[in-house]
Amino acid sequence: MATKRDLRSLSTLLTPSTLFLGIFFLGPLAVMIIFSFLEPGVYGGVVWNFYHWNYGRILGWADGEWEDFDPVYIDIFLRSVRLALTNVGITLLVCYPAALWVSGLSARWRTFVVFIITLPFFVSLVVRLFCWVLILRPSGFLSTSLMGLGIISEPIDIIYTETAVLIGMAYILLPFMFLPLYASIEKLDHSLLEASADLGANPFQTFWRVILPCTLPGIAAGAVLVFIPSLGNFIVPDLLGGAKVMMIGNLIEQQFLSARNWPFGSALSVMIMLVMFMLIVFYLRRIGRSEIVR
Amino acid sequence: MKHPWLKRLLSLHGLLFLAFVYAPIIIVVVYSFNSHPVNMMVWKDFTFDWYLSIFGNPTKLTEQTLYVESTDQLLSAVKNSLTVAVTTTTFATIVGTATALAIYRYHFKLKPFYQGLLYMPMVMPDIVLGIALLVFFINFGVKLGLMSIIIGHCTFLISYVFVVVSARLAGMDSTLEEASADLGANPWATFRRVTLPQILPGIVGGALLAFIISMDDLVITYFIAGVDSTTLPVFIYGMLRRGVKPEINAIATLMLLFSFAIAALGLYFRRRN
Repeated sequence: MATKRDLRSLSTLLTPSTLFLGIFFLGPLAVMIIFSFLEPGVYGGVVWNFYHWNYGRILGWADGEWEDFDPVYIDIFLRSVRLALTNVGITLLVCYPAALWVSGLSARWRTFVVFIITLPFFVSLVVRLFCWVLILRPSGFLSTSLMGLGIISEPIDIIYTETAVLIGMAYILLPFMFLPLYASIEKLDHSLLEASADLGANPFQTFWRVILPCTLPGIAAGAVLVFIPSLGNFIVPDLLGGAKVMMIGNLIEQQFLSARNWPFGSALSVMIMLVMFMLIVFYLRRIGRSEIVR
Repeated sequence: MKHPWLKRLLSLHGLLFLAFVYAPIIIVVVYSFNSHPVNMMVWKDFTFDWYLSIFGNPTKLTEQTLYVESTDQLLSAVKNSLTVAVTTTTFATIVGTATALAIYRYHFKLKPFYQGLLYMPMVMPDIVLGIALLVFFINFGVKLGLMSIIIGHCTFLISYVFVVVSARLAGMDSTLEEASADLGANPWATFRRVTLPQILPGIVGGALLAFIISMDDLVITYFIAGVDSTTLPVFIYGMLRRGVKPEINAIATLMLLFSFAIAALGLYFRRRN
């Protein structure tokens, strides 16, 4: 039964976060959505007219004229989706066996190794990416050591390629894949594995028919948690991809800091947000909400 | 295990995985002591000069004193980062804990909506939140500076504290609270003497997490920092964009040490309970 005092303390406890998130979280998102439907001013800024061609531009129709069809933005959008999906694949392939390995260790070692794996991810993102800049540059660690060993004679240029972006992105997002995978692998019922082996399955059959289906929720959670930050990332492509590997995040940054077309930048952000919402809704429908809590 | 070779293969992968995670960090730490002035990745001699150089002592290793004059900027970036992180952590911890208590204790119609609202800032891509805040602040004439960064960080850190404290509350023994109430303690006394001591590790954990995320945030801060309110990650990002210098190695190593210290502190608090 809710008494008057309960109601009062409930509202006291909830008022700060309600006000704060209402004003400074929902407010900005609303303003951004409104901006995405406004006309860009000639010298930056906005003109308060309804203008839906910001979205048209993303699809290639600037101002709705067929002559101006230019798929450059679609290309960038598709490249971002492709790279984000590839990154999900890479992190999954790298983390799944690692999580299997950790779950097979003794209890003491398990806690320690999980700690050791997550520790570097408390280190600043920009520092972790800087490490890869140092390694992948033509005069960097990889080139220098390979030349020192006599394996290659010319410096190799990995930086400013899609490969470099994928390496950097996988590196910074590893724990978002590893932790959900590990959580679901650890929950695995070991009697199922024994039953499978007793019934004559070889390790690969056990993996395909028992382990993989049972850990699907972990895979889905990891995939969502890696895909979302990959899609809108602009730091990694900026530092490791240069101008050659432009992703949607770089495009947005450009609209705000150099092109000064805020409505178009807002429209691009709204697109990313929509993709995120679709993924989350799909995920919650299929897998349930309990898994998303880390 | 009937298949020892399979197990060995997994172990090999595990070790390679650990190497992949740690090698880049170790390389940076080791080469921050390299005195080669031209190619940072060719080992020459052991030196501390890059560390001295970032604190304003001119180094004899190189003619370029490009970054010596930016020592003031570096120190002011560190100061900004700490100011933001401490303020944000305090605010986000109080508000996040209050929210977690309310959600845990009371049942009300809008509860699922609230939980959704609280998870949203955590899953929102950084760039979207950064752009939204920038547009919002400019549109309403808020001057970009430390205050805008603090507000921006709080929007998502409240959620992180909320999640950590909620997890702790869920594992709490609620009969103790009932016993305290039955024994005649008023709600405030029950909270102070019974609830608070039990959830304190959660609050400390949430606060440390908020602190470390605030210190580290790059993307959101990048958009809403004013000209004179650069934080450390934004400053280093700017340096990296202009070109790689040996001094960045030294700064990176110091930041590594700092992050590991905070993480160790967090582990210590978790172990103690």
